Amino acid sequence: MKKLLSHISLFLIPICVVWMLAEVFYRTVPNNYTYKHEQISKNKDIEVLVLGDSHTFYGINPEQLSLKAYNLSNVSQTIYFDKLLFEKHVNNLPNLKYLILSVEYTTLTQEDNTQEDIWRKYFYKAQMDLEVPLIQWYNPKKYSLALTRKFNNTWKTFKDYREKGTLIGCDANGWGNTYLATVNAIEMKRLAHVVAKKHEDGSMDFSVNSNRVQQIIDLCKSKNIEILLVNMPSVPEYVSLLKSEKWKKIDSICNHLKTINTNVTRIDLLNDKQFTLKDFQDADHLNAEGAKKCSLTLNQYLD
Amino acid sequence: MLFNTIDFAIFMPIIFLLYWFVFKRNIKIQNIFLVLASYFFYACWDWRFLGLIFLSSIVDYFVGLYLAKTEQKSKRKALLLSSLIVNLGILGFFKYYNFFIESFQEVFSLFGRSLESSTLHILLPVGISFYTFQTLSYTIDIYRKRIEPTNNVVSFFAFVSFFPQLVAGPIERASNLLPQFERKREFDYSKSIDGLRLILLGLFKKMVIADNCALAVNEIFAYYPEYSGSTLFFGAFFFAFQIYGDFSGYSDIAIGSARLLGFDLMQNFNSPYLSRNLGEFWRRWHISLSTWFRDYVYIPLGGNKGSQAKWIRNIFIVFLVSGLWHGANWTFIIWGFIHALFFMPLILKKTNANFKDVADEGKIIPSLKTIFQIGSTFLIVLLAWVFFRAENVTHALLYFEGIFSASLFSIPTVSRGLVLFLFIYMIFEWLQRDKKHLLEIDFINSKPLRIAIYYCLVFIIFYFSGDTQPFIYFQF
Repeated sequence: MKKLLSHISLFLIPICVVWMLAEVFYRTVPNNYTYKHEQISKNKDIEVLVLGDSHTFYGINPEQLSLKAYNLSNVSQTIYFDKLLFEKHVNNLPNLKYLILSVEYTTLTQEDNTQEDIWRKYFYKAQMDLEVPLIQWYNPKKYSLALTRKFNNTWKTFKDYREKGTLIGCDANGWGNTYLATVNAIEMKRLAHVVAKKHEDGSMDFSVNSNRVQQIIDLCKSKNIEILLVNMPSVPEYVSLLKSEKWKKIDSICNHLKTINTNVTRIDLLNDKQFTLKDFQDADHLNAEGAKKCSLTLNQYLD
Repeated sequence: MLFNTIDFAIFMPIIFLLYWFVFKRNIKIQNIFLVLASYFFYACWDWRFLGLIFLSSIVDYFVGLYLAKTEQKSKRKALLLSSLIVNLGILGFFKYYNFFIESFQEVFSLFGRSLESSTLHILLPVGISFYTFQTLSYTIDIYRKRIEPTNNVVSFFAFVSFFPQLVAGPIERASNLLPQFERKREFDYSKSIDGLRLILLGLFKKMVIADNCALAVNEIFAYYPEYSGSTLFFGAFFFAFQIYGDFSGYSDIAIGSARLLGFDLMQNFNSPYLSRNLGEFWRRWHISLSTWFRDYVYIPLGGNKGSQAKWIRNIFIVFLVSGLWHGANWTFIIWGFIHALFFMPLILKKTNANFKDVADEGKIIPSLKTIFQIGSTFLIVLLAWVFFRAENVTHALLYFEGIFSASLFSIPTVSRGLVLFLFIYMIFEWLQRDKKHLLEIDFINSKPLRIAIYYCLVFIIFYFSGDTQPFIYFQF
């Protein structure tokens, strides 16, 4: 028995060393989560807060807004985390006048704990200091960020860090400033197919997330904060590949939220003609040029 | 709790250490500990269904005891029947209720009538088909006077709920596993090492082979109208490896974990894709289930005794029931039917029992004849898998229509790396075909080389594992 245990221990030493190095890497190198947490905690005078997923992360540049704004959205950030983040920070933002909240194709039907972002919740917990009810105390991943991601992803992230010297992909205002290019029409068409497939979850159950949006609206109401409910622009090909029935339902829910809540303004940019292919990085994300256009459009709704 | 999770990586060492260091001295306490550990293991999915395992265990424990006490035929039959009703009743309700209701509704609607009966929202308890068959085999064997019942309730509960094989087998026989709970287990270094190797191999099969194939399979089966016939063919090819890696990987981890605790479980897979005919395939694929059906369905039906027509009937019954065992869907029944159909030539030529030896023993390169035999058997198995994977019969038929189109001979849009990787994997299986498993590498004298192989596998698992997918056989 002792022989077995000593052999296993020896065998596991290199694996444990790699694990510890990965843990140190995640805990010490700043990334979007740590950076955004630091910025939002520091800037108490924010007047406009942006929440949402990668569409707003890359698509709304606070620098283009006339009021002091911060973009707290992030890649694959669901409405679940939008709500948790807003609830955490709203009391520390006494000057907050507007909340820009995006509603995308997946926003209202997205389940909690989907495969794509199953690891992110641990980063919100560990690096944005959020209390995440989805994480149980006995879950080992709560205590080790290295365990939350597959090794090849950790290695890719490390290589990325070695190349760029940073893992932070946003500016001081939280805007994702790394989407600068565009692609040709053929590639855009291909990307539209790929992304539409990825985003089609087949669900028409809007109840849970609609309720979350309403709870955010109610909290805003109690703090006299206006909400700009935004449908971000997308390439027409992408829009047409997704279920029209679901788009209609999203549209009707957004209109309903606007009708029943006096503090909600609906801004539908989904099919806005001012956005052309050269404003997009890919089928559903604006590039820097598109983000400028989008931000200036939204700015018209701010006093 | 999944075998390929951090949770199990923490659970198993704790169980191992407590089992050998704290509870080693008293076999009864060791068994109680195993029952508690197994119930905890199962409760991690859904504690509400623990009652079903408990019910099955208690019913069969007492039925076993009473069977031994009576010689009266009618009483013995009644006791066996009560066990069958409880066990198959639970299985039938949880697994097949909606299937039969829907099927009856469809049949009635064909005749322009409607059947007033509604389906229920029933959750399928994980592993129900596995532990039900295991506990049933105990009662049937006592009824047939092949084994003696146990008086030790703890041993019996441990036998039914033993966590390594509770949710996806191997489906053990009481004659093999139960006595192991009743005698003192001694720690065996080489057995433990072999257990660890099996766990490593199982993780490799599941996380690298199955999960990577799953990505391609999910995409191709979901969007099959968009793909060429050749790509659809490779979709089925990948599924063949997904289900093999998934299920044999699970079995390897189960057998390996049991070995660490001093138990020997039966081999469940033995390089099935190297089979030279379907008869050999079924002696190498899901062996614990195949032998279960052989012993408790096929032989009681008469097996190959009597006329050829009766033999054929028995084969069809076994394959159809086997299909139904896998799931409450016509696709599984058709899958079983296809296997039965392709089994027919073997029966007619009486070659089903051929190939019990090692293929091309002693040779490194297979003969052309062997390649042809393996290839043709694999092709049949592969095409039958389409029904197994499809969501419904229409889906399967449309998928076949897609495969057998003009585009079958076009260049497939699949990962060549994955195809090459699977091909290389099969070469290793071929080279190790006379061993119990791929990592039986004691013939390599160099210890550093053996360790290098283990590290290599660990690296591949960490670096090349696909997105975590649920074990396919959990749904059965």
